[in-house]
Amino acid sequence: MLTIVQILLAILALLCFGYAIKRFVCQKKIDCLLFLILGVALICAEHFSWLDGYWLSVLKFMGINIVFASSLNLVNGYMGEFSCGHAGFMCVGAYVGGLISIILFTQNKLLGAPLLPPEMAPLLFPLIVLVAGCAAAIFGLLVALPSFKTRDDYLAIITIAANYIIIAVIINIDVVGGPRGLSGMRATVRAMENVANVPWMMIWVVLLVMVSVMMLFRLVNSTLGKGIPAVCQNEVAAEIMSVNTKKVKLVAFMVSAGIAGMAGAVYAHMFSSIYANSFGIMKSTEAMVMVYLGGMGSLSGSVMAAILFTLLIEVLRFALPALSDLMHTLPFVPDSFMISQEWKWVLIPLILILLMQFRPEGLLGNRELTQVFPRLKRLLTTARVE
Amino acid sequence: MKDVTQRFGGLIALSCFNIRIEENSLTGLIGPNGAGKTTVFNLASGFYHASEGSIIFDGYKYDSKLEPHEVTNLGMARTFQNIRLWSDMSVLDNICVSQYSRLGYGLLDAWFNTGRYGREEKRVKDKAAHILEVMELSDVAEEMPKNLPYGLQRRVELARALSTDPKLLLLDEPAAGLNSSDVDGLIKHIGWIYDQFKIAIWMIEHQMKVVMSLCQHITVMEFGQIIASGTPQEIQSNPDVIKAYLGDENV
Repeated sequence: MLTIVQILLAILALLCFGYAIKRFVCQKKIDCLLFLILGVALICAEHFSWLDGYWLSVLKFMGINIVFASSLNLVNGYMGEFSCGHAGFMCVGAYVGGLISIILFTQNKLLGAPLLPPEMAPLLFPLIVLVAGCAAAIFGLLVALPSFKTRDDYLAIITIAANYIIIAVIINIDVVGGPRGLSGMRATVRAMENVANVPWMMIWVVLLVMVSVMMLFRLVNSTLGKGIPAVCQNEVAAEIMSVNTKKVKLVAFMVSAGIAGMAGAVYAHMFSSIYANSFGIMKSTEAMVMVYLGGMGSLSGSVMAAILFTLLIEVLRFALPALSDLMHTLPFVPDSFMISQEWKWVLIPLILILLMQFRPEGLLGNRELTQVFPRLKRLLTTARVE
Repeated sequence: MKDVTQRFGGLIALSCFNIRIEENSLTGLIGPNGAGKTTVFNLASGFYHASEGSIIFDGYKYDSKLEPHEVTNLGMARTFQNIRLWSDMSVLDNICVSQYSRLGYGLLDAWFNTGRYGREEKRVKDKAAHILEVMELSDVAEEMPKNLPYGLQRRVELARALSTDPKLLLLDEPAAGLNSSDVDGLIKHIGWIYDQFKIAIWMIEHQMKVVMSLCQHITVMEFGQIIASGTPQEIQSNPDVIKAYLGDENV
């Protein structure tokens, strides 16, 4: 028997497809439909277990990384500032999102009985993610307000400080688990699975990637959003040409932090527990590597780099032991010398050094993928130029 | 501007400066280097706040909290002595972004692609296209300003200032660094702007050819004070002006 929630969900899914098809038929744009088909393929892959669980979680992680990197690109690329505390905002989103979902939908020793029937979870989950994003955006003010007066290196130091503050505050709040981490989000996911037995987390990751990349894309392509590189390239000229530079900075930092927060909220539900410590400078650095790898001021570059980077980490997971074995076939290598997984933190920064040396503008520079390959653009928009 | 004094520490850059710019007029501001001409412009466009005196523009009195973008919003645009274009954005984008404060939509409109967003974007683009056409820049609309020759960059800057819908356009040495044929083009374009848009133009300029052929009224400054003002003919024969530029014979 179908419940009301199930029917509502079905209607929502139909609306999504309806929009994509309408866009294809009316505007001759297949981009939306293409992403949706890819998304459905991924969801089916999990539902009918076409891929094993390991690669599925890699794919989900890839999605989170895409959102994480491209939201940082708004500040580091388009805005030209150097934010090194991006993981802090993701942390805020993860904790706020996780906490709300635990309070609302699950039975918890500390926080009591669920406030809402757990059947509502799939419907309200996007709202939770949105609230978590807003919370992260408010923490974005921590960086946005000092940015009115400071720039460049000085602002970079402020962003590191913001990252530390956020993590330290969360570790010191015992209600959210302190250093033991926050756990219990699994129950919400199980509640969703009770409503309809589909791979919910994959669905949310796919939707998150679509929505946030679209938000960023529309922002940077609007005249409103072009104020951001204008402030970066010449702040004095921007101010005199009627651009409210304070508002632009506020929007850029808050949107960037907010989207990272949304990624955090979804990320929190992918694992049984989250730890504030894992959102440290190391995590922020990962995002920076992805942004610089892809190219500053290139949204598709960040998306591409996030995919490459996640794959690279996973490939190294297999490659390093293999390399270790290979080395032991050489006679002069002592048996005690092993190439452990930690060596990936030698290789990844090394990539960054080589990148800065030989291609400092990143893989795509500040161009988009469609500018590098014009044929791709024609493929995505089949509309004829009148 | 009334009785404006500007001090930087102990240095008095401007003392009791009085000037009135009429609507729809072409005024020149000349004077030797360091006379305080650019300071006057920086005060007018809100970069500095006057130490004393008051500035009133179009009925609006400046106060100490005023920011430059608000002044631009009131209808005053300016160009700079050194070119300050957004060099990595196309010429068209340069013109579009400078209409920022006139954008009639918000972040949510952009995200949800609302009707208002589409209309406003179209309006901004159309207006930019119109300005580019008037300024004979349509051919380079998609170019990056950094790839354009200097004279053309100057013209783009002029076009960008125009796109903010000014009532008063301040030009800080528009002919600096231009060769003589570019200067002729500039004179032609400023004349066009004046005829087509019916706005007031106030310019600082060192090249007498530009000032004398365009301005109806000229003010001469030295050491933060006005030493003469009048029509180009009057200025050319004013003994104080000649003294300021060429020096006193009895040194």
